[in-house]
This record gives sequence, structure tokens and C-alpha cells, in this order.
Amino acid sequence: MVQINLPQGSKVQKGKFYKDKTGSKNIRKVNIYRWDPSTGENPRIDTYEVDMDNCPSKVLDLLNKIKNEIDPSISYRRSCAHGVCGSCAMNMDGKNGLACTKPHKEIKGDINIYPLPHLKVQKDLIGDLSTLYRQYSSVEPWLKNSKKDDGKENIQTIKDRSKLDGLYECIMCACCSTACPSYWWNGDKYLGPAVLLQAYRWIVDSRDEEREERLKKVADELKLYRCHTIMNCTNACPKGLNPAKAIAEIKKMLVTS
Amino acid sequence: MTDKNPLSPHIQIYNWHISSLISICHRITGIINIIIISLVCFWVAFLLLGNSSYEFIQNFFESYFGKFFILGTVWSFLFQILSEVRHIFWDLGFGFELKTSNITGLIVIFGSVVLTVIIFILGRNLL
Repeated sequence: MVQINLPQGSKVQKGKFYKDKTGSKNIRKVNIYRWDPSTGENPRIDTYEVDMDNCPSKVLDLLNKIKNEIDPSISYRRSCAHGVCGSCAMNMDGKNGLACTKPHKEIKGDINIYPLPHLKVQKDLIGDLSTLYRQYSSVEPWLKNSKKDDGKENIQTIKDRSKLDGLYECIMCACCSTACPSYWWNGDKYLGPAVLLQAYRWIVDSRDEEREERLKKVADELKLYRCHTIMNCTNACPKGLNPAKAIAEIKKMLVTS
Repeated sequence: MTDKNPLSPHIQIYNWHISSLISICHRITGIINIIIISLVCFWVAFLLLGNSSYEFIQNFFESYFGKFFILGTVWSFLFQILSEVRHIFWDLGFGFELKTSNITGLIVIFGSVVLTVIIFILGRNLL
């Protein structure tokens, strides 16, 4: 259901202010969403003044700097630091993306950092993605092929292989799904762009033998057709993929097959 | 997750894109158009009631609010039509690249306004 306002316990309050102690002239204000599960208080926005003269270029570097030098209590996920693992997906400057590939220079004014939208927050910038993972496993994202393993390659033509380009690169960071208003309102039933892109990746794989079953399974008023081509997914994808197009291709296959 | 865990902010903080703006406007104009079509039906029914009710509608259309209402109706329908054409191309599998969809989106926004002005000029015989 569409619920514009946040529930009472989720309302965001003004938080602490961490004044710059380095005396640097090149200061930027960074506003970060904080929630501590141990206190039972509402979430708050903490403001940090950061010395930008000694800060590397990406938003993740900025967060690391704050955690190392100003406030060690702040929590966020990160791992590879070069846009491959998808751990540090968050909402920066009103748009989802990977903190490790987003240059803070691109952000004008104060830097606002929130967790991915419309998720249950576990702590600070860490959202709970278990619903998305459950939906991901529901599309059975593995090759279904009755051929016996004879130790040889499962050969695909160049043309068939090229159909997977723009799909296999997905790192499941959830930037697209959590950018989608339809997924906000119907996240429990609608599969969302990330999972539908994965579903399509297995539907078009020429080596997979269960295309019909996969299509039948996904053809559902709520699972698939809650996509209204809002295109927030494609706008958000940090890997430059196009989940909106993948969903449209599934819809097209359903009416033409 | 328990109910204790807060829900992270969503529509409050998320940036508007051209595509999301048109999507919500498409829905709103869709609802408005249904209401307007019902009103047009009443208008036609009013003609059956004779002279006085015809004059009542005529006076409404001559008033400033009536003119605004007509122009709004024209824009609302044009917006819906252009946006629907965009949707048809999408359903055929075209126009999903970010650049293309942004350009077609701008065409929908500005096209609907420009066409409204053209229809206004033609309808008022201002040329």
C-alpha cells in the first residue's frame, strides 16, 4: 500500500553536531542517517564537518575518514571498494548508488547520506535486504538443464551469449529495487527490478531448458506487472544496466510467445 | 526484522527524475480525464433539458474559471495522449536508454504545453 509518511518510530530527528577540530579551511558538512538499535530512540541525522583537503575522492573514503577520525560508532557495509561487490549501496544526495564509485565532488552543497530507501534499518546505514534475497531465490537463479555432465563445455553461439550482456554484470546491490516506488509500496509481492532482471537473465539463456516454466512463474499481476516503467531503476543502476528494459522484454515475451 | 526497526526514508529523500515525474503525472491526468469525460456526459445530458441549462453551461465556459477549466482539460488530455504514445513505444521494446527516455520525456512535457497553446490560438481564431 502507498504510505507516504514514515511510521511514528521512524521519524527522523535532528542529531549531534561534530565540529571540525583540524582547523582546515576546506570544510564540507556531511549529514548522515543514524539509528542505534540499543537505545530505542528514533533515528537521527548527525552532522559532521570534514576536512576535505585530506580526503580521497569517493563518498566511501569520506565515510571511512569519519569512522577513523571523528566518530567510530558509525556503521555501514563495505568490502571491495571498487564497484564490484555491491556492499556499500546507499542513498547519497537523494539518489541510490555505490559509495565506493560515487565521487563526492559530484554532490553540490551538503552531503546527505541515507540507507537504501524503504528498508527496515538494522543500524545506521545498514538496511535489511532479506526480503529481496528471498525473492531472488524464488526465481531459482541457476541453470536448469537435463544434459548429463560429460565433462565438456556447454556451447553457446556468440549471438546467444551476447543476449546475456547487460544482464550478467548485475551485482545485486539493490540500488534499483530500493529506488522503485512500486517496490516501496508493494515490496512484499512485487519482485522488483533487481530480481526481475535476474529472472530475465535465466529466461534468455539459450542453455536453460525451462524458459516456459520460468515465464509462467513470473507472469503475475503483482510479481511482474507492478512495473509501471517509472525508470528510477535504470536511473539508479551504478553499473549502467537497464532493468526497465529487461522487465519490458519479459512482458513482450509473454504476449508474443 | 522486528517492528522496532525503523523504516528508512524513501519518497521524502529521493530525487525526482523526469521519468518518475511523468509517471506520476500520467496517473493523475488519467484520473482527471475520467472525471472530465463524466462531466462531458453530463454536459451532453444538460442539452436535453432545454435552453436555460444550456445557458448555464455556456456562462460557465465564458467565465475565467471555465476558460481555465477548458485549457486544463486540453492540456491534461494532450499530456495523457503523448505519454501514452511513449508507453506504446516502450511496450514494443524501444526507447529504454536513459538518454532517449529523458528526451522523449521532455517532448511529452513541452509538447503538451506547446500543443495546448496551438489549440488555444486556433480555437480562438487568433491567427
